[in-house]
Amino acid sequence: MAVLPMQRISIYALKKDRKKVLETLQRRGVVEIMNAKIDDALFQKMDTASAQELFHKNKSVAQQAVGILDEYAPRKKGVFSKLNGREEISLKKYEQEMQRAEEIMKTAYRLLSLEREITEQKSEIQRLQTQMEALKPWNPLDISMRFQGTAKTAAFVGAFPEPYEYDELQDKLSKALPDITGFYLEVVATQPEQTCVFLLCLKQDAHKMEDKIRAMGFVRPAAPAKRPPAQQAEWYQAQELQAKQTLEKAREEILAEVEKRDELCFAVDYYAMREEKYRIISRLAQSKHLFIAQGYIPQTAAPALAKELEGLCSSVVECTAPKEDEDVPVALHNNGFAAPVESVVESFSLPGKGEIDPSGIMAGFYYVLFGLMLSDAGYGFLMALACGIALTVFKNMEIGLRKALNMFFFCGLSTIFWGVMFGSYFGDVVTVVSTTFFHNPVNVPALWFVPVNEPMRLLLYSFIIGILHLFTGLGIQGYQLWKAKRYKDAVYDVGFWFLLLISLVVFALCSDMVPKILQIPFVLPEPAGTISGAGAICGAVGIILTSGRESRNPFKRLMKGLYGLYNVTGYLSDVLSYSRLLALGLATGVIASVVNQMAAMTGNIVVFVIIFLVGHTLNIAINLLGAYVHANRLQYVEFFGKFYEGGGRKFQPFSAKTQYFKIKEK
Amino acid sequence: MEQFGIGLALLGAVLAALLSGIGSAVGVGMGGEAAAGIVSEDPGKFGKVLILQLLPGTQGIYGLLIAFLTLSQIGILGGSADISVAKGFLYFCACLPMGFVGLWSAKRQARASVASIHLVAKKPEQFGKAMLFPIMVETYAILALLISILAITGIGGLNI
Repeated sequence: MAVLPMQRISIYALKKDRKKVLETLQRRGVVEIMNAKIDDALFQKMDTASAQELFHKNKSVAQQAVGILDEYAPRKKGVFSKLNGREEISLKKYEQEMQRAEEIMKTAYRLLSLEREITEQKSEIQRLQTQMEALKPWNPLDISMRFQGTAKTAAFVGAFPEPYEYDELQDKLSKALPDITGFYLEVVATQPEQTCVFLLCLKQDAHKMEDKIRAMGFVRPAAPAKRPPAQQAEWYQAQELQAKQTLEKAREEILAEVEKRDELCFAVDYYAMREEKYRIISRLAQSKHLFIAQGYIPQTAAPALAKELEGLCSSVVECTAPKEDEDVPVALHNNGFAAPVESVVESFSLPGKGEIDPSGIMAGFYYVLFGLMLSDAGYGFLMALACGIALTVFKNMEIGLRKALNMFFFCGLSTIFWGVMFGSYFGDVVTVVSTTFFHNPVNVPALWFVPVNEPMRLLLYSFIIGILHLFTGLGIQGYQLWKAKRYKDAVYDVGFWFLLLISLVVFALCSDMVPKILQIPFVLPEPAGTISGAGAICGAVGIILTSGRESRNPFKRLMKGLYGLYNVTGYLSDVLSYSRLLALGLATGVIASVVNQMAAMTGNIVVFVIIFLVGHTLNIAINLLGAYVHANRLQYVEFFGKFYEGGGRKFQPFSAKTQYFKIKEK
Repeated sequence: MEQFGIGLALLGAVLAALLSGIGSAVGVGMGGEAAAGIVSEDPGKFGKVLILQLLPGTQGIYGLLIAFLTLSQIGILGGSADISVAKGFLYFCACLPMGFVGLWSAKRQARASVASIHLVAKKPEQFGKAMLFPIMVETYAILALLISILAITGIGGLNI
């Protein structure tokens, strides 16, 4: 239940054992290697950028190859396959496959070139089809479109941009060219957007003819083929068929490689590991025969690793406590109850120097607050059930996901508890069903009270929980200051506040108004008011005198003190912030009842079930989200605000950061 | 004139649902636009940006909650709908905080959400903090909800 104590580790070994040592370190994944500081001419760092780049390239080629296989032969994945985590392979298998890495890469490159081939053929087919489309109207022409004429004649093969019938065009041309010897016109095709023609005239008239028809918009086809159009079309078809066959062949070849998918996945992982290894190598201090790896290791893992490395080869492992001013990375370690909320702490910030890990204390509050906001036994049961099943069925789940599901499992349990306390089971479904379908209202009584009927009561308890939560935070601050031997600060910044706040709460309870608003049944005796009043004044004076203690100037100090006291409004708003427990709790319950009422309106069992399922699914989703974000907020803002700053650096050990496989040891 | 009371009360209930519903619809819409843009670049962030998109959606639910509470209190959902004008006006007033604060806070929260969505796009590891910014705005919707709830449940017991 705390931040794992770290040790500084230094490994000295012979360079010839570097591979062995590093691979062991990577598979154990317990050491964070730091960038060595070289202060000696004997040692140097190795530049591994080009090697890293090569491995990175191999990794992404293999990754792309896997992507290609996935595209042509999608993997059969269950809905829950994500829960299953990485596949485990034995060390022996890993070493076997490792030998074949280069061979696997050949497959990867081949797949890539096949994919490229397919893309090329696809665009080739596209191109051929466009050309065939353009050639279609010319089909009746039985000579090449390149035909220029004979010895005495000039031929024009081309198109006018308007639709003409034969007679119309013949007329038009005759009128335009009255003085030529004659011409022969053949309309090959008339289309809405063009007229394809074959025109023949004497060579001496060719210039006149060309001028006139160009003025009418005549154009020769771009890149006419040597063969007559019909033949050319056949040739295109043959080409297309060939392209299709090539494409199909490439596709089949890709499909034939499907069983190599696992190998390719392995290659992705293998090169990712090597890239990581070479990144680490560039951080080591190396001499001609020696290398030194320095870094951090959790204290608990240190002896085992030292023993293993020293048994592996001639090396020396030295573990020392880190110095005061070192930037030691942070790893959290908690029991099964608190570990799930580590990720909540982590998304705020890891504990900084001298701070405690708040996960342990936070976990209980987190589950309680979450449960209060969702507060329906039915919903909690579904949550706990779903998470529980997933956790038991998928043993191989990744650790992060496992923690998240564990967290929601505990939150589900807490939700069941509060649901039972407030008598909410899918809202008021028992009452609604028994009234609608059995005409015999059954009420499930709340174990404690029903919040919709007594909102003030729940508001009061929300505030009480809030005050406990805040006081816990303030207490931790006191503990941290005390541990750091800043006794004065602990008294001034925490002690006085406790005195003031507790006195104010008691004082408020003794007044006339507050108990009436909050419907508190008991009245505190008279002297309690006097004593608490005096306590509050003492606390306030203490705060005014000490808040600005870093200032020497007495006036400035007084001002800062008064400003410090002003923070009491901050506490007020912090406590009020817990009213969201009531609001969100009511929201769940009321919307659930609305769903039930709507479902029961028709009195038809089928309609009831449909509306019930849809409505409650929506309500769970939206309120789960609400409970999650607001539980986080209460921890981050109200609770952490009292004692926690964070800023720790995450422990990132040198490890096998694989995507598909997990290497099983022994 | 006798029916004027229930009319006022209903107007309040409807306003609470209406205004906060509009606010949330606008807000979730804004979040959705930003989120879709991020997902087009990196589909892996879907889960995170979806949560951020949904944050301004709660006001609509609070509005619904207030509307429903009022409807059941004034007897429109079964029971006798016999309410004095004074009481109707009180219900109307009680619904106003949720309506107005719901509308404005949802819109403003949406802007914080959009900003947080962009934050997550650049630094996905800062999701915890990104979530906090819109949640800060939500506090005021919750406070309005609280006052509306307390007022509505309190009015039922008054003898006017």
